[in-house]
Amino acid sequence: MQRRDFLSWLLKSAYGALGLGCLAALPYLYRDGRGDIKTFFVKTIDVDDLPRIGVKQVEFPFRGLTHKAFVVRRDKDLFVLSPVCSHMGCYVNWNFVENEFLCPCHGGRYDMTGRVTGGPPPKPLTRLPHFIKNGFFYIGIRA
Amino acid sequence: MIRAITNLLDSWFGIKEPHRNFLARALPEKINVSYCLGGMAFTAFLISLITGLLLSIYYVPSGRDAYSSMVALHDKVWFGWGIRSIHKWSANLLIIFVLLHAVRVFVHRAYRPPRELNWMAGAIGFVLIMASGFTGYLLPWDQKAYWATVVGTSMARTVPGAGPLIETLLRGGPEVAGATLVRFYSLHVLWIPFGLMLVFWAHFHMVKRQGISGGL
Repeated sequence: MQRRDFLSWLLKSAYGALGLGCLAALPYLYRDGRGDIKTFFVKTIDVDDLPRIGVKQVEFPFRGLTHKAFVVRRDKDLFVLSPVCSHMGCYVNWNFVENEFLCPCHGGRYDMTGRVTGGPPPKPLTRLPHFIKNGFFYIGIRA
Repeated sequence: MIRAITNLLDSWFGIKEPHRNFLARALPEKINVSYCLGGMAFTAFLISLITGLLLSIYYVPSGRDAYSSMVALHDKVWFGWGIRSIHKWSANLLIIFVLLHAVRVFVHRAYRPPRELNWMAGAIGFVLIMASGFTGYLLPWDQKAYWATVVGTSMARTVPGAGPLIETLLRGGPEVAGATLVRFYSLHVLWIPFGLMLVFWAHFHMVKRQGISGGL
């Protein structure tokens, strides 16, 4: 093969690769929005660090952002509450003194189980799915 | 088939001869890979342009939605993170190649007469590319972007006399806010690319007219 032919072949191959690359943009451009929201289980704390009693706030990274959730142990019951207020979506905080979750935005209140005890929230705090695997506590968040 | 189409177009418009003049023009003898740096910079520009067009499909230039639209691009769009990464890296490479290209031209003294105007066009292009980098940095609208722009625009205040005026002009208000984001977005996707294309057009045509300088 001559140098000239080789260069010409190289150029054509480059254009071909470029064309195929443009085809790859199609799945990027196409979205129907179905299946956007999925539950992802994220590894959080060691099971030894789970609360013996009461509420514990856990923070865990997911896709570069820090998320938080409340792990609650009540009697024999262990569950996870989302910190997102059902009113306008602010993050609630656990108040040790009042034994309630308080929302800083509009004064929503929830008890330890997530039930609304005051303020504007229309629904209780969402319970998040969770499981224990290999000594670690996994929390499911919807993203 | 491509040949047939080319021949047909040539029979209508005579496109072959001028392109042959350009593509098969004489080059200096002592040419090497460093002469490709300008072309590499232009390739990086084209990649930035194409990925930028793709990003603009999903980006929402408003103070409320910009960050979440970027997160959604990462989470929900197929290869969204990849397009954004390619845009970022091609932009970085563009600046590196442009600098190396300028060094090559400087070392070969190719800025000397009759090529002064082309050096100036290149210098304007470099400033526009840096401006594109600065305005693009704000668009993710995260903490790093925000504070980088606060610091960057506050530097304009140190200009004697007109400083505060320039700062307000850049920010579109007393501080960096949603108005700044929209303004930077407009500069990044409309004003600067348009200016760059004019500069490139001039740059390339001057190269075509004057040929490549004979080197050292």
